[in-house]
Amino acid sequence: MDKRSDDTSGDGEHMTSTQTEQQTVSETAADSTVLRATDIKHSYGQIEVLEGVSLELHEGAVTALIGPNGAGKTTFIRALAGLHAPTAGEISYIGPERPRQIGYLPQRPAFRPGQTVEQALTFYASLVGLSGEQALSALDTVGLLDAKDRDVDALSGGMKRLVGIAQARIGNPPVVILDEPGSGLDPEMSLHVFQSLNELAADGTAILLSSHDLALVEETADTVVMLDDGNLLYHGSPTEVIAEANADSLLDVFRESRQAEAGTVSVRGVTDDG
Amino acid sequence: MGEQVETSESGVMGQSEEVTAMDETIVEQPSTGAVFTSFVRREINTAILTGSFIALTLSVFAVVVGITLVGSGFSAGYITTVMELLTPLQLLVPVVAFVLGFNAILSDRRSGELDVLRTYPVAAWQVVIGVYLGRALGLVIAIGGPLVLLFVPIATTSTPRLPMYASHTGADTPILYLRLIVLTLLFALVMLAVAIALSALVSSARTAILGVGLGLILILFGLDLALSAGFSIGFISDSALISSLALSPLSAFRGLVLEMAISVTEGTGPETASPVASLIGLAVWGGGSLVVATWALKR
Repeated sequence: MDKRSDDTSGDGEHMTSTQTEQQTVSETAADSTVLRATDIKHSYGQIEVLEGVSLELHEGAVTALIGPNGAGKTTFIRALAGLHAPTAGEISYIGPERPRQIGYLPQRPAFRPGQTVEQALTFYASLVGLSGEQALSALDTVGLLDAKDRDVDALSGGMKRLVGIAQARIGNPPVVILDEPGSGLDPEMSLHVFQSLNELAADGTAILLSSHDLALVEETADTVVMLDDGNLLYHGSPTEVIAEANADSLLDVFRESRQAEAGTVSVRGVTDDG
Repeated sequence: MGEQVETSESGVMGQSEEVTAMDETIVEQPSTGAVFTSFVRREINTAILTGSFIALTLSVFAVVVGITLVGSGFSAGYITTVMELLTPLQLLVPVVAFVLGFNAILSDRRSGELDVLRTYPVAAWQVVIGVYLGRALGLVIAIGGPLVLLFVPIATTSTPRLPMYASHTGADTPILYLRLIVLTLLFALVMLAVAIALSALVSSARTAILGVGLGLILILFGLDLALSAGFSIGFISDSALISSLALSPLSAFRGLVLEMAISVTEGTGPETASPVASLIGLAVWGGGSLVVATWALKR
């Protein structure tokens, strides 16, 4: 488990044939890396939102990004998805070559009004050379096939999010990044979404998601990354993070990290860093 | 668009290329034509097959029919109709192009769909051209449809009826009216490109209508006024005036219609515009606007 951005586990090193079991594990992790972010910094004007965060995403693993509002999660996610260039640092996609390398679910997914769910997904599928039927199979994975003929503007927020998750999976991208996929969903549907993401990871996809549902994260994520004030505070498996923080659960880890600022939202550039 | 994050050129790439379960559904990048088709279909679904588009088209039809009826009527013939429609079309066409184009890129930016599109293997220019082609189809229907329909009552009621179609000077021929339709559609497509460029440049709903509206007004009437002012203060000489009109899309359109659909009937007389310069001017405005829109999308 790593704390504060020094996370890389043996990347770039070449092991010998006499490596230990631990070394083998490290090498496997390094080999399966599909996205690498190194020392990412991002500023909005004078306000530094990310202060040197490093992270690797591995195929077949679900990585959960947690942290309080304003911690820099969405900024980090958008940088990883290639939607904006970080002020400093490097992001490298090193996965298999695919027409679509990264699938992305925005925090507030939206679709052009005036089309059905099927039409919206078929449009995206066509951009990677897939048919409408294959778009519908993505819809099926989120359990929303019955809504294929419904207008996208007639969907509830939760259903729209599910369609967004289906969209993020289109084209079989090796990396799928989801900004709060469980937001607005009822607990059962939220669990279903996390389970379907686990199934996607089991097929080899690297998943990165942000979430405030810490119980669900603890239950389903392989790796947890906690951001606070633009810094990587904790990084490891849920068990490792909980042990490192000497807490009982991820929720406790979160609460303890926020104890001094309970009930307030840290506003970068305004709230006193000390 | 489509560039995503930096792709490593190192040998690390090979390590991840082993076959895994993810390879079950290998997808291939579609051709540019297929991408355009996808965007056009999307625009048809979301911008053309709508009640507001039908209302817009009917409004255009009502306006052109109304102007003709209030004027000399259908029976006055083609050339009269061309002259009566020219001035209203200079205002109507940009307005319709504005209505169809101002939200084309902006709505996707505001909804976050542009961000999602960036994760697909689609270049910014493909998005711009795809959206443009889809909206252009709507514009051709909204502007061209009513003008073509207007042809029917003129052809059936105009007197004297032509024994044959001809394009020689001096005759009131349907070819002159068809030229008006073609030139109007050309002008409309250029104005749509301008509207889409402005739509890509503005970033918030607050600035959208104001920004796009002001931009169109400046490009349309500001340039016309600038040309008039330049001529009146002697900055533009008499000999350069005809070519200079091509700088303004509105002047270029007006000049083309005057030169190719109205003056031609008189056979002789002063040259009102340079058709070649006007066509080049419109092409530059249209192509340049799409380049600007692509640049704005990449920001």
